Amino acid sequence: MNQTSDLLEKLAFVILAGGALAGALVTITRKSAVAALIALIGTFCATAGLYATLSAHFLAVLQVLVYAGAIMVLFIFAVMIVSHDETEPIALRGLFMRTTGVLATGYLFYRIAWLVVRERGTDVMAATATPPIPGFGNVASIGRLLFSDFLFPFEAISLALLAAVVGGVLLARPPHDGGAA
Amino acid sequence: MPGHLYILVSLALFFIGTTGVLMRRNALFVLMSVELQLAAGSLALLAFSRGLGDQHGHVVAFFVMALAAAEAAIGLAIVVSVFRLRKKIDLSSIDELRN
Repeated sequence: MNQTSDLLEKLAFVILAGGALAGALVTITRKSAVAALIALIGTFCATAGLYATLSAHFLAVLQVLVYAGAIMVLFIFAVMIVSHDETEPIALRGLFMRTTGVLATGYLFYRIAWLVVRERGTDVMAATATPPIPGFGNVASIGRLLFSDFLFPFEAISLALLAAVVGGVLLARPPHDGGAA
Repeated sequence: MPGHLYILVSLALFFIGTTGVLMRRNALFVLMSVELQLAAGSLALLAFSRGLGDQHGHVVAFFVMALAAAEAAIGLAIVVSVFRLRKKIDLSSIDELRN
């Protein structure tokens, strides 16, 4: 019984992580924006599954609602408005500098990955080895934290969202409707 | 599952997002890659949160999600208004502020 659930957990992790990485690769290589968006939605759903395996149930639900739902709908509307005639996806201008940047970032990430693998025995890396405390990651405990210790950042974020909504309306409004921006 | 695997997946996702930001010239794809990077960061936060048994990482991931929504709204509004002005959103051709 224990062995079966262990195997199932491993299988779920491999499927979710592989799906997330494959979707991300498809996203940045597609020429058509709609195909990239669909792959991105798949990536976000797989990431939500990974959150759920980390006992972050509230965040998993939010990931599907906010990312795979709301933000992707915004992107789909933008793709509808912006036309599809694309120039070559990778322009030659500045290609050398950008390739150098990607290679440097790759080396940095390789070093970080090496460090992470070396430190895999520490407590921080234990992740799902021990069962979580009761109520870990559910709506009640996250909500209690949000409205006690993090009340000020929470209100600041709501102000930032309001500013973003007003700014988005102001920016996306057609320039010829006579309103002074 | 051991936590370092989650961190490695998060690193790989972030690297793919960085590659997209650096290599793609279409502003829509750059914004999508930025969303990928934000999701990768949240994954690392949640993995460490689970490892430490501390839920503060969940709260920070919640804030990241809210800021990602704000960023997508503003970014896409800028893309749409640039497209209205210039009829294309190729980032390497938008260089009015250079020099």
